[in-house]
Amino acid sequence: MKALAACAEAVAAAPGRNEKIARVAAYLTTLGDDDLARAVLYLSGRTFPASDRRKLSVGHATLREALVQVTGWDLEMIGTCYREVGDTGETVALLVRRHTQGQEMTLAQAEALYAELEQARRTARKVELLAGAFRTFDWLALKYFAKGITGNLRIGLQEKMVEEALAAATGLAGDVVRGANNRSGDLARVARAARSGTIGEIEAVLFHPLDFMLAKPLDAVGDLADPGEWWVEDKYDGIRAQAHIDAGRVRLFTRGLEETTAAFPEVILGLAPLPGPLVLDGEILAWREGRALAFSVLQQRIARKQVSAKTMAEVPVIFLAYDLLLFGGELQFTVPVEQRRRELERLGLRHLAPQVRLSSHGEIEERFLAARGRGNEGLILKRAGSLYESGKRGGNWLKVKRPYGTLDVVVTAAEQGHGRRASVLSDVTFAVRSGDRYLNVGKAYSGLTDEEIRQLTVLFKAATVERYGRVSLLRPEVVLEVAFDGVQQSPRHKSGYALRFPRIVRWRQDKGAEDCDTLERVREMYEASLR
Amino acid sequence: MEILFRPEGIHVPAIDLWLDPRTPVGSAWLSHAHSDHARGLHRTVIATRITAGIYRHRWPLPAGREQEVLRLDPGETMEFRGARLTALQAAHILGAAQLLIEYEGERTVYTGDIKLAAPICGWATEIMPCDRLIIESTFALPIYDFLSAAEAKERIVRFAAESVAAGLVPVFLGYGLGRGQEIVHTLTEAGLPCAVHGAIAGLIPYYEAEGISFPGWEPYERRKDETRPLVVTPGLQDSLAAPAARIRVALVSGWAAVDSARARSGADVLIPYSDHAGFLELLAIVEQTGARRVDIVHGYAEPLARLLRQRGLDAVAAVASATEVQV
Repeated sequence: MKALAACAEAVAAAPGRNEKIARVAAYLTTLGDDDLARAVLYLSGRTFPASDRRKLSVGHATLREALVQVTGWDLEMIGTCYREVGDTGETVALLVRRHTQGQEMTLAQAEALYAELEQARRTARKVELLAGAFRTFDWLALKYFAKGITGNLRIGLQEKMVEEALAAATGLAGDVVRGANNRSGDLARVARAARSGTIGEIEAVLFHPLDFMLAKPLDAVGDLADPGEWWVEDKYDGIRAQAHIDAGRVRLFTRGLEETTAAFPEVILGLAPLPGPLVLDGEILAWREGRALAFSVLQQRIARKQVSAKTMAEVPVIFLAYDLLLFGGELQFTVPVEQRRRELERLGLRHLAPQVRLSSHGEIEERFLAARGRGNEGLILKRAGSLYESGKRGGNWLKVKRPYGTLDVVVTAAEQGHGRRASVLSDVTFAVRSGDRYLNVGKAYSGLTDEEIRQLTVLFKAATVERYGRVSLLRPEVVLEVAFDGVQQSPRHKSGYALRFPRIVRWRQDKGAEDCDTLERVREMYEASLR
Repeated sequence: MEILFRPEGIHVPAIDLWLDPRTPVGSAWLSHAHSDHARGLHRTVIATRITAGIYRHRWPLPAGREQEVLRLDPGETMEFRGARLTALQAAHILGAAQLLIEYEGERTVYTGDIKLAAPICGWATEIMPCDRLIIESTFALPIYDFLSAAEAKERIVRFAAESVAAGLVPVFLGYGLGRGQEIVHTLTEAGLPCAVHGAIAGLIPYYEAEGISFPGWEPYERRKDETRPLVVTPGLQDSLAAPAARIRVALVSGWAAVDSARARSGADVLIPYSDHAGFLELLAIVEQTGARRVDIVHGYAEPLARLLRQRGLDAVAAVASATEVQV
């Protein structure tokens, strides 16, 4: 673990992506097979393989309690330290440095400790295990051990980069390692197979989400060279989901690769009788009388652990399939779209997205308007003969949709970011005007350059009225233009509305707070979305 | 003895003496020459010889203005308006000193900025038993635990040597007074001649006058083909002539103890070394003086005060104004 920590520190200090990958690769080549398998996991910020059902439920409170026991500092002091550092694992390391015996922690010991923490039922036992580790092991090793618990190393190293480093360290092509990890969700197993030359034998694992194929936006219809070479489907405004089905068991995963099975019991019941093993790509939609309801309706069903019969009756939900990823025990990634479609149609699904072959440019506009008329978002075009490019936005799928709109909003609160942005106020809450008041309609994290964030941090600090921990409440002065994908009702905001997927388009230095858009405008947009 | 913590500085009304005032006053004790401590043209200035010299360099006396400068070097004592003032060595930058004020049987020590062990250039702290201690708290959180001077020197030299060997230009970020000269001294003594930016270079003669050597340093000039290590003030790394791909930047500072300093400063490599005390050193200073009353200024005053109160001391966070701290 000490060598892994040294590697991670070197990666943090390395200037570019390639340099970081090279440092990881150099470290990986020094390891035996078992340690290689562990190291690739831990460097990806995982404690267990993605497809492993084990999950480490160790929260910040548990970690802090262990810190209290080991250091003797109270929770208030530890909280102050955490706010200064901005990262839990780093805080652990800096605080235990003077309280540990500093023994070397092997990767095998880290693995055993993660397993024990996962097994432990009671919080008190977890605290005891952590405190024991904090007293025993080298502080730099503990830094990355604890970062693993929180799931993010914050050294600018994504799992894809670890895959590339593993490929470089074992003499394989990057795509081969990526493909095997996508299929199995087990980078440790992939690492062993890479060493033993058996990576091709790694098969797809059911009930572990595969990367979704993504669509590129088609900005102008005329950009399409050969309209006759494309299939076209409606683009639905629901939740993109992957259904894994086998022997009556069904699990649903979202595009973020999160499981969402429990929220949609009627979908699970509907899919369970299908002959497995099977993986479908499709959309979860609120559905009535043969058409999709607005996303704002579906929203009432999201993120529920349990669903009442009443909610299920009020907002009926379906899974509309549009692609086939695994069939007859075989991954379908290398099967052309036409053949995947044929198999899909043979399954006898209740809800299948209609698909037709496109013939002309003019037809795109026509079909787009028809799709909008059906309450859908636009169109998806799939290139004839194309394969399912898992995890890629390669241009073999195109999406046609109009941006919902943009609003000029004023920033009312700003929050310290995390990791690289821990020292700047990068996360902003914004509002629209209602009479002489400003009411919040959302929060955004991205879209500005580092330089703009730095400049805004200075302005935000000057405009701060009150501070609550990491959050600063501001006088409404800075105006941003935000784009978003829809308006939904929100009990969280006083305005009653929240923008969907807001992202900052630009900083409107030419506008003052009084020039920002009004609540009335937001309300109109919401009403229009229900029609 | 009454002590007032005011936005303009710390005031001792019984003898009308200000400690490190921010605005011009009658009589001022200057603990060291950083510009957030030694600033403005006071009528009377009390300071060590070194501090007084650098202060004069930075605050020249305009023609026709007069100022009384009273030299008080470590170990020396003077009578001042019915009190006895004694200067004591403070480990911080060159020339830094604490002030012991003895008045009506009470002993008060004002540390100024301080750490315990000797810095790369400067002297170690002399601990003086006292009743009341006024101490800084820039890094008064247990996460702050810095390299020793010897460790810092080793890291500075290693970073420079490794970068040069890799064909890269090592750039050090250090403040104009203190850290900058310490880095230049460390590099040149290790046989690595370097180019030094103006703000840092201008004060090197004050160090040389104290017998600290800088063999082979040169003033920094904008050169695209630069290969020597550069020592510049923070923020300057973006305006260097050397192409960004060829430079490697190190931040030598107490703030470098935390990884987010990388994003904040733009440095690749962090060397956590400070001329302020880390947390445990601060506690050691407080404990060794035996003071029962502790007033805490500049920094994490409240967390430190709370901790000292838990340990039975009469400790108060005496923060009167926003501080700008030089490190």
